[in-house]
Amino acid sequence: MELGNLIQVLSGGLAMGAIYALVALGLYITHLTTHRVNFGQGDFLMVGAFLLLLFRNLGLPLGLAIAAVLVILAVMGWLLDRVAIRPLDRKKDTLIGAYSWILTTAGVALILQNVIELGFGKSSQYSAPLFSSKRDEVVQVLGAGLFLEEILVIVAAVLIVGIFYGFIFHSRWGKAIQAVAFNPEAAMLLGIHTSRVKVGVFVIASVLAAIAGVLIGPIVTINPHMGLVLTIKALIVAAIGGFANPVGILIGGILFGVFESLSNYVDSGFGDLYPLLAALIIIAIKPSGLFSEKHADVR
Amino acid sequence: MSDNAIRSISLQRPQSNRVPYVLAITIFLLLPWLPINGFYIFLAQTFFYTAIAVTGLNLLLGLSGQMSLGQAGFYALGAYGSALTSLKLGWPVPLSIVFGVLIAAVVGGLVGVFALRTRGLYLAMTTLAVGYILDIVGQRWISLTGGAMGLSGVPSLDLGFPKMSSTVFFYVSGASLILVQLLADFINQSRFGRNLRAIRESEVFAASVGIEVSLWKAAIFAFAAALAGLGGAFFAHQSGYVGSDAFSVRLSIALLIATVVGGLGTKIGPLLGTLILMVIVEVIAGIDKYGLLIYGGILLIVLLAFPKGAAGIIGSLAQRMSGQAQASTLGDAPQHTLALSDAVQKSDELALPKQQHSHTSLSIQGISKSYSGLKAVDQVSVEVKPNTIHGLIGPNGAGKSTIINMIAGIYRADEGSIQLGDKDLSTLKIAERANLGLARTFQNLQLIEGVSVLDNVLLGIAHKQSYSKDFATWLSGGELERDERREAFAILEFFGLAHLAQRLPTQLPYGHRKLIELARAIAQRPTMLLLDEPIAGMNTQEAKAIARVIKKLRAHGITILLVEHNMEFVMSVCDTVSVLNFGKLIACGTPAEIQNNPEVIEAYLGTGAKK
Amino acid sequence: MKARFKRNIWQAALVSAFVTCAAPSLAQVKVGVIQGLSGPPVIVDFGESYLQGIKLALKDYQTAGGKTKIELVIYDDEANPQRAVSLAQRLIQNDKVPVVIGTVSSGNVLAMAPILQKAGIPLMAGPGIASNITTQFINEKPSYIFRCSMVEKFQIDQMLDWGAKTFKRIGLVHSTTGYGNFAAKEIQEGLKKRGINLVAIEAAAPGVNDLTPQMLKLRDAKAELVLNFHESFELPFRPLPRLNYKPIIAGNWGLSSLKVLEIVGKDAIEGTVMGQALDINSPRAKSFDARMQKEYGKDYRWPVVTSLGYDAAQIVFKAVDQVGKSDPEAIRNAIENISDIQAVSATPAKPFSATDHECLDYENVFLGVWKNGTVTRLQY
Repeated sequence: MELGNLIQVLSGGLAMGAIYALVALGLYITHLTTHRVNFGQGDFLMVGAFLLLLFRNLGLPLGLAIAAVLVILAVMGWLLDRVAIRPLDRKKDTLIGAYSWILTTAGVALILQNVIELGFGKSSQYSAPLFSSKRDEVVQVLGAGLFLEEILVIVAAVLIVGIFYGFIFHSRWGKAIQAVAFNPEAAMLLGIHTSRVKVGVFVIASVLAAIAGVLIGPIVTINPHMGLVLTIKALIVAAIGGFANPVGILIGGILFGVFESLSNYVDSGFGDLYPLLAALIIIAIKPSGLFSEKHADVR
Repeated sequence: MSDNAIRSISLQRPQSNRVPYVLAITIFLLLPWLPINGFYIFLAQTFFYTAIAVTGLNLLLGLSGQMSLGQAGFYALGAYGSALTSLKLGWPVPLSIVFGVLIAAVVGGLVGVFALRTRGLYLAMTTLAVGYILDIVGQRWISLTGGAMGLSGVPSLDLGFPKMSSTVFFYVSGASLILVQLLADFINQSRFGRNLRAIRESEVFAASVGIEVSLWKAAIFAFAAALAGLGGAFFAHQSGYVGSDAFSVRLSIALLIATVVGGLGTKIGPLLGTLILMVIVEVIAGIDKYGLLIYGGILLIVLLAFPKGAAGIIGSLAQRMSGQAQASTLGDAPQHTLALSDAVQKSDELALPKQQHSHTSLSIQGISKSYSGLKAVDQVSVEVKPNTIHGLIGPNGAGKSTIINMIAGIYRADEGSIQLGDKDLSTLKIAERANLGLARTFQNLQLIEGVSVLDNVLLGIAHKQSYSKDFATWLSGGELERDERREAFAILEFFGLAHLAQRLPTQLPYGHRKLIELARAIAQRPTMLLLDEPIAGMNTQEAKAIARVIKKLRAHGITILLVEHNMEFVMSVCDTVSVLNFGKLIACGTPAEIQNNPEVIEAYLGTGAKK
Repeated sequence: MKARFKRNIWQAALVSAFVTCAAPSLAQVKVGVIQGLSGPPVIVDFGESYLQGIKLALKDYQTAGGKTKIELVIYDDEANPQRAVSLAQRLIQNDKVPVVIGTVSSGNVLAMAPILQKAGIPLMAGPGIASNITTQFINEKPSYIFRCSMVEKFQIDQMLDWGAKTFKRIGLVHSTTGYGNFAAKEIQEGLKKRGINLVAIEAAAPGVNDLTPQMLKLRDAKAELVLNFHESFELPFRPLPRLNYKPIIAGNWGLSSLKVLEIVGKDAIEGTVMGQALDINSPRAKSFDARMQKEYGKDYRWPVVTSLGYDAAQIVFKAVDQVGKSDPEAIRNAIENISDIQAVSATPAKPFSATDHECLDYENVFLGVWKNGTVTRLQY
């Protein structure tokens, strides 16, 4: 494979990998703190992409449109916690207890899909590039043509992971999140408002999904049912990364995206299967993920 | 209340209830002959085989607590397995269906084994991925499966009556559902259900009562997969067509929705859930615009407002109508239980036969354990002589519970050896050690919260009959596990808790729960008993009673190692005592010797303290 | 005990409800419609468009004063063959319709067709395009299965005729589903017969969202014409600007959807060729197009599919009107013998015969090309 082709394939893989990593980060932070994730995380991304489309069609300037999307999705994250997750805390002792959040968040995802369908129709849509008025503005890098947005999404993902890392491990808020993650009761005793932290992480996760949704639009065709596959892949990425460490998740996402792109190049017919199989094998061998330490089972 | 009265009320018999079956079978036999249009027969057929698949998921998730988001994959295996062998190889349809079920079961077992290493969210994801992969394979392996265009002309199940094929199919699939329902009811009420519930509660705990957790988990996975495969096989023969678009993630989610909406873990849950699901699907067939909204909305409403599902709603309605308190509470029972000390005075007999191997010793040589650089236990050796009570004490964090956990098999020692009698335990798993006669209680009290006190004690009692004999007894209306239940009841009587046999542990105070756990440990007929803080949270009187019980156990030939903080208790009960501090053994001897040991005093009270 | 008793009362109630629900027959004639109206977007585009045509045809039928009252019974098969079969049973046994129109996915059509054939209910299949939908049943005496839609084989044949004449280096990208694989086989055999070999064959999974690797290899193979037989019709176009590659792309009628135009852009899609059956320049097509725009506005997105739905419904309604009652066999005969259809698409006035149940035969299918934002007939 010549260099140009390699760069081409890699860049596509990096861009999608960055998207997966952004979505997986949201899953990571909610799982860390509450042991639950939003099963509709991919659908939140989808809503973000469609909302951006709506606002731009309405003529809003780009910055305002993006801000609006972030705000709306943040509110949705807050609502999700209040409606679909917090009420379940009271029902811990029913049988489904440990897993009900899967179904409630999945239920919310279904509702979101239907709402978007009602508003935009069920077809696929085109989402215009963010920074150019032409459809096919391309940047040449070492013999490969890259869309501006692809470069942007990679940069954004790295930036956000960096911010995340600093936030969680070096700020007061981050320490509060870690405390709640480790032991909610103890955190409460230390004066940390655990329920606020728990809502907070869902809001953060939704904003991450919003960012990914804004950036993914120009790279793929958007449709109301694109969410589930993204959620599945993001879960896999988070699991490979070990649900433990934002940098691990970024690496996991990029690995997954690049592997996917390469295997599609090598075997175009079944290329999408190999990353899934590889991920399953990794989870089988190292269930706690590639980058986390094994926690001793202390009773 | 007289003892006999207590006995008769408390010993509720788990047996098959004939009446609903008889009614259902009568209606079922008559249905095709009633003047209803054929579409409802078609729907009934769909109901039968879908309910079979949902029943499997209900057992998997409801009883053993394992989540599977990939049941559609096993459904597909059953469908393709049966369709291909009957269509391409010309096998008779019943044989093809069996083949389909077997394929699904084998793959399900493999996934179960693979999934043993994961739990919770990871297990859900793994099954999701497996279902996804099977869907893709079905779609792409066109030479085998026909892909999305599918296989048509799959032979129908008519057992030689082509003109009556839909009626024949109705009866066969319906009869299969009845059989599956019988099996599921049996599993629910029998030892199967109890063991699965223990696994759901905590795998470590289940292993410590001798359950081979990996085997059970894989087995229930395979069983649920087999039932999904049976559903799929019937589906293939209903319309003679199998196409890969039918087996997507949406099917897995639909089966899960049916399981939960019907009432997870209940007996009629799968039937109700399938019915509700099918009604919803038929209703939204004409309103494609709002289908997902309705689906998602119902899911949310059920989970938030009616977490027990339709079965729960019916259950509480029925209760309210009959005005009767739940059978699991005895309204007229006296508020205060018999004082424990009185109970123990009253019955001297523990109803335990003398132990055959009543001279089991426990020998711990130089064991160590480190976590992340911290040495929790440092080269500790303890000799517990046969038929003695040995205490293990030390300040908090000394490593006592770690040692208990190492003996029980939860942790592997970094070095050293542990011998029970003449058997080396180091390579044995938790359940294997339990089956050698090692029983334990837990510091944080492990009981199955959702089943009765009696069932909790039953968990410890060895199985006397084979499962098939159990099934035969249950089918014929006899009482399941009669001897075991009598034995468990006797143990409860010894503790003065017999009148609470049908209560749920969640309804009882802490002291009683501790006793129940002890009762369960005793039910295991151990030769070696590990007690982790047996009197924590009890008052002086209760502690004295427990001390008496433990001494009685010693008299019965059981060797006991206990961890405790209460000095008075330890000194009064133990024959020998080992003292730990910071993971090291600092003293060992009789209670009197320990009390006067200066190192021990320093460890507890600090330097400069004078006795 | 009480709970179980409750359950049995429910069971009894349900049974009595079933019994009383057996509907009495009504005076008007019901026409059953099963379409893919939810699920993958491409399926929905087909299903909704075909249905738009059917509904407009009903409106026209009522305005023109058809004697028999016709009512549509519309169900969504969710692109799931299990649903398609169940709904077919429902239409036959519960709604008791004498004729059915549908559906999108060929797999679903093939699942339903045997049931309808056995029950003696005529099926007007569409927009499913699998080549064997009618031929599988044509030797039944009589066959109840008709189709008013493109036939995949005919599109491919026309395209290969033109492609072999116009280009030397031809490449193919197809999906790994039955549809894609069948097309790939047909194309390879067809080109071989015409003395050409493909310079590159690329496959891709149906759900993938980026075809860069495949288009990269096609570029490196220097394919001038790329045959596109992947369900996500717009995907091969998207990587092209990156790769600095501008082949002519040709595929089946999926490429004529206005949605694809929107996604790919007017400039990028210029010159793309596809199978067609609607000549937009014919007067009837023009007025039809205008009326659809008025009726459905932005929802109208696929002229050719809609026109075929319209014509399919026209035929069915005409036949029902001729027969005047809910008689499946008579309606079947009427459909087969209909001879005065004023079709919007290229369907001839007498589309069927005892040996041919296709609206569009080989000679009715032609090639279209995107020119300046509209699909016009390709001259070659």
